[in-house]
Amino acid sequence: MKTFIIIISIILAANLNFAEIKVVATTTSIYDLVKEVGGEKVKVDYLCRGDQDPHFLEVMPSYMLKLRKADLVMEIGLDIEKWLPQLIDGSRNTDLKLIDLSANIEKKEVPTTKTDASQGDVHPYGNPHYWLDPENVKIMANEITDALTNASPGDASYFKKNLDNYLSTLDKKITAWKKEMEKLKGKPIVTFHSSWIYFAERFGLKVVGHVEPKPGIPPTPSHNAELIRIIKNSGAKIILMENYYSENAPNQISRLTGATVIKVPVEPYGMNSVNSYIQMMDYIIDQLVKNA
Amino acid sequence: MFRYFNFYALVFIIINISFLHSQSNVNPDISLIGTFNTHTNFSKDTPDKGKIIFEDPSLELFIDGYLNPYARGTADISYEEGEFRVEEIYANIVRGLPFDIQIKAGKFLLGFGKLNTVHAHAWPFLIRPLYQQIYFGPEGYNDAGINFSFLIPTTDFYTNLDLGVFKGDAIAKAEVPDISSSDIKDLRGYSPIFVGRLASFFSLSDFSNLELGLSASYGIHSYSSYYYNLYNIDYTGDASLKYFYSGLDFKYKYKPDGYTALTVQGEALLNNRDVLRANSIQQENVTNFFIKKITTPGAFIFIDYLFEKQYSIGLKYDFTYGIIGDNPDFNTLSNDDKNKTIGISGWLGYYPIEETIAVRLGVQHLIFNSINELKGENDTSVQLQLIFSLGPHKAHPF
Repeated sequence: MKTFIIIISIILAANLNFAEIKVVATTTSIYDLVKEVGGEKVKVDYLCRGDQDPHFLEVMPSYMLKLRKADLVMEIGLDIEKWLPQLIDGSRNTDLKLIDLSANIEKKEVPTTKTDASQGDVHPYGNPHYWLDPENVKIMANEITDALTNASPGDASYFKKNLDNYLSTLDKKITAWKKEMEKLKGKPIVTFHSSWIYFAERFGLKVVGHVEPKPGIPPTPSHNAELIRIIKNSGAKIILMENYYSENAPNQISRLTGATVIKVPVEPYGMNSVNSYIQMMDYIIDQLVKNA
Repeated sequence: MFRYFNFYALVFIIINISFLHSQSNVNPDISLIGTFNTHTNFSKDTPDKGKIIFEDPSLELFIDGYLNPYARGTADISYEEGEFRVEEIYANIVRGLPFDIQIKAGKFLLGFGKLNTVHAHAWPFLIRPLYQQIYFGPEGYNDAGINFSFLIPTTDFYTNLDLGVFKGDAIAKAEVPDISSSDIKDLRGYSPIFVGRLASFFSLSDFSNLELGLSASYGIHSYSSYYYNLYNIDYTGDASLKYFYSGLDFKYKYKPDGYTALTVQGEALLNNRDVLRANSIQQENVTNFFIKKITTPGAFIFIDYLFEKQYSIGLKYDFTYGIIGDNPDFNTLSNDDKNKTIGISGWLGYYPIEETIAVRLGVQHLIFNSINELKGENDTSVQLQLIFSLGPHKAHPF
């Protein structure tokens, strides 16, 4: 009997040891970070593909099914995933914990006055595109580590070790990226959407205009004309845009100004051969430097 | 006078809700949908032929939010043709119940088919499908009651089963113009009806998805005694007149990027019901009724193509028993097994900035296949619609 109890205990302990934390990430940036920190102790899936605009995701039952089986759902926050509450409700998962990775981010462009639709699609809690600054990704990785540790305290040292390894790699890459971007420091650029403020400030770029007249508002001929004037006056040579936006308006502006349109993924898996956050940043910076 | 009171009451509600909303983040989401329609028709028989008719604008006020960590509350109040109406008001327990059941209680659009639960302003086309006009009434299948929603444990795809019991107004509304009318309300809409839908969702690829649904609804739609009383005929024993709707629906959507989407969607309904038929064609000479069982179908299918994010174009084919536009009467609409209506419609939609403003131009051609030639000529109408949406927008469900 004693032997039987010992065997059962060993089996149970072994099972507990292999129990995975099930995480659903709203975006593939978060998905990549959870994979890095969680390693084999975590099973992670994502909702918004790398080539999709995270502002707009159709509420589909298949996403509810993913959340139904999850322990944690991790979000960018700052109101970018307006679709998430409907999916969480649809999942009927009472034990699901929501982790907002923006909690300790220093937010930019937080409105200081009342916002309304006349200003376009303004996010009332600040610009949510903070993951495009790799320094913020370090904060996100720390948040993820805390959340995983809370979910499985026994694996704290494992997660910490993975975090340290990832941050060490990321620090080296940040140093290299900064060095590469030196030649663009202070240079004016135009972006499609107002999503590059964190990136631009980190690498010293000067955003002089956007293709969208206001956040989320489609380009108009009058605004294009104004933007052409701005580009000519400022000497901007680059129009930087996410690869899920239409390049019709940027291409028209490019033809009239000579500025180069650079279309890049802003999430891992946003294009072939970009399979991690680091590869994505490598690609963005490489494209910018090549076209500077 | 009452019409103006209604208007000012609505303004009062909106202003005060806005004030409360500014005070706290715990207040619900409030949004307002305004609709303005103009139309003209080319039917020979109507005095309005060729005239542009400007309809009174209508609005819908949506209030929605969490009541507590487990439940949401929703209200949809409409103002149309000078009258307020509560379209929907319900509480929905979304989590925390045994077996992960969700319970929805109140008055709401019933889950028969996929389209009925979607508000009309969110359809790509302008006019309600013909079979719904006949079998559900002009405002759709809407009733007070309680619905239980179960997740079926199919591992690789999502399957949901809805089962509900309702007051019965939904079925009565398709047969009588005003269910609050005192002489009929005692006989109509006071027998509970049952509605259920089993739906499965399949992700076919990263860009294409398919939903398939089976629906059923059962109950008593009327009693024979009302008609015996109406025609002063002596009767012994009252017969309940039952109905059974069975339905099939599908929706396929291909969305390769954020700017383009192709949707193909369709529904079919089979109506089985007991109806009374007079033993004489001339109603004034009716001396007795007999009960007949009828089986009639109705269906629609449409294709809608969204391009450049701002434009849509589509085509819909409708078929139903019953003559569209008839005044509801016991021998017409859902009880009609002789006459048919076929509809062909097309539309162009322009959505300049997401769903904040929509402009739609639609044309519908109705073909009446009637045993009574006096029922009317075929009809073609053109409708121009402007919709605006004020307030927060929920994400679009599939």
